[in-house]
Amino acid sequence: MRHFCLKEVGIIFLIVLIALMKSPTVQAADISLSAEDSIQEAINQALTGDTIVIQAGIYTEELTIDKSITLRGEEGVVIEGDGEGNVITIVGDGVTIEGLTVENSGTEKDNAGIYVQEGSNHVIKDNVFKDTMNGIYINKSTKNVITGNQISSVSDHFSNRGSGIFVYGGSDHTIEENVMMRVQDGVYLESVSNVHLRNNAVLGSRYGLHFMFAEDVVAEENQMKSNITGLMIMDSTRIRVLNNEVIEQFHVRGFGVLIYESEDLQLEGNEIRQNSTGVSLEKTVDVDITRNLISANQVGLEFIGENKNNIFIENNFIANVVQSKISNNKMQLDNGEVGNYWDDYASFDINGDGIGEEMYKAGSLYDQLLEKQPYWQFFFESPSIKLWSQAESFFPSLSADVYDENPLVEPIQLADDSEKGETVRDIGALIVSMAFLWFSILLIWLGRHYT
Amino acid sequence: MKKLLSCLLLFVIIAGCSNEQSFEPVEINPEVDVCEVCNMSLSNKDYATQLFSKDGDVFLFDDIGCMFEYIDKDQQIAREDIEVQYVRDLKTTDWIQIENAYFVYNPDVWTPMANGVVSFGSEESANEFVQEQGKGEVLNYEQLLEHKWGWEG
Repeated sequence: MRHFCLKEVGIIFLIVLIALMKSPTVQAADISLSAEDSIQEAINQALTGDTIVIQAGIYTEELTIDKSITLRGEEGVVIEGDGEGNVITIVGDGVTIEGLTVENSGTEKDNAGIYVQEGSNHVIKDNVFKDTMNGIYINKSTKNVITGNQISSVSDHFSNRGSGIFVYGGSDHTIEENVMMRVQDGVYLESVSNVHLRNNAVLGSRYGLHFMFAEDVVAEENQMKSNITGLMIMDSTRIRVLNNEVIEQFHVRGFGVLIYESEDLQLEGNEIRQNSTGVSLEKTVDVDITRNLISANQVGLEFIGENKNNIFIENNFIANVVQSKISNNKMQLDNGEVGNYWDDYASFDINGDGIGEEMYKAGSLYDQLLEKQPYWQFFFESPSIKLWSQAESFFPSLSADVYDENPLVEPIQLADDSEKGETVRDIGALIVSMAFLWFSILLIWLGRHYT
Repeated sequence: MKKLLSCLLLFVIIAGCSNEQSFEPVEINPEVDVCEVCNMSLSNKDYATQLFSKDGDVFLFDDIGCMFEYIDKDQQIAREDIEVQYVRDLKTTDWIQIENAYFVYNPDVWTPMANGVVSFGSEESANEFVQEQGKGEVLNYEQLLEHKWGWEG
């Protein structure tokens, strides 16, 4: 009797187990396609929740997806458009597209490899886009996740290309780990709110990240390299730019970071290196620029027109050809307690609090002249201008309307790894200095004994 | 030979002197040209505008709204110092003097700085554009001067 009971329980358990295992496959079928099949036909026949797995091959067709399904490509799946309109158009909700290579869209301004016309909760993951005007175009849609895509636009001048990821209207997107090369703008956000951009790379394009009328955007740990301008932030509000790498924007019109007519911004922990102009602010309000490395730019920092309520502390200005070009009205570049590290600052820290005793003057009469007569750049570092600047420094009242009252005498340690390097170097220096010391003692000793 | 050379030199000098200031629209080079106001590159050439001062300086803009901002908000140039302003016919991309142009305002129409104003050479093409878009208001230059721009806030 006891044995029978156990057996029955066992059977019931098994049935439940099988039912549990089986239920998802009843609801969502895996449909497998090979190169002879039409993907669009499979989409038309698929039910909500289905997964269409596409086998390797070149599929020459344009797709419209109007229901919540997953399209997954095995390695080597190419969806090739006919060079007109979009290659894949999404009109439903909850569509996932994964692992496809999308090629050859039309070249109208709005055309894209994947065009999201509406809906929300789409996932666009690990796809490759080639010769598509815009890679991914998101129109007035919400809650999309775009990760791991590689995007390049048509091979033409940047003015005739589209963007890597073009987002117009809508909100709540996550854009992570994408690589954009030779597009117009890597990521273009217009009238969008709540976007998180993390760990993307934009190379060889016009603008790396371009925000217009955007709100509540976080851009962190992205890399912008060799574009015209790394970050172009225009008419936007509440933007956080954290720990990005903005390097080698060396175009004649290029900037590392250009902020125009924007409010409530935070720039922290960014490495802004080797750009024509590192950071440029024009008509901005409430900008907090803290703990950035601004290094080896032709011009480190530029302020144009009226900028209000800027906090500007603990940045390292190292080896910029011109540290700053600030030609507007009076401005204080520290918060009254702490300022920035300027490597051309030379004064003493008598009380040992890490802050120099004299103020650092950013900008000179020469800078003001440059504003009116750009050609005077020709006389940069010439003896006459050097003499002029030297003379000027004796009369601070002449030009000290842009100043840092609390300049740091040592650069700020920005990352943990650089600290490690410092200790190693210190030990090396110690060994070398000890060697010198012992050598000189030996010399003195020898000299005393043998002369 | 010397004579010929000096004649040539004289000719060049005279030609240089007598050459009248040209106020013809300049060609846009999207590689280097940027908007005087917002710093954006003139990649969308069809929306670009230009302004010549009486001194012969040319200023380029990526959007009609930026040109008005330059004059009215930033007051970088007084209206009496302007020689001529050109806008594009969005349909043909021809340059037209701003006084002769017709404009369509529709906040939903995309323009580089989201001002929603585009220009046309004739009232017909402006009306046509409104019909295509299903929405919009046709303005002439005098009406555009009264227009309230987005940046006026």
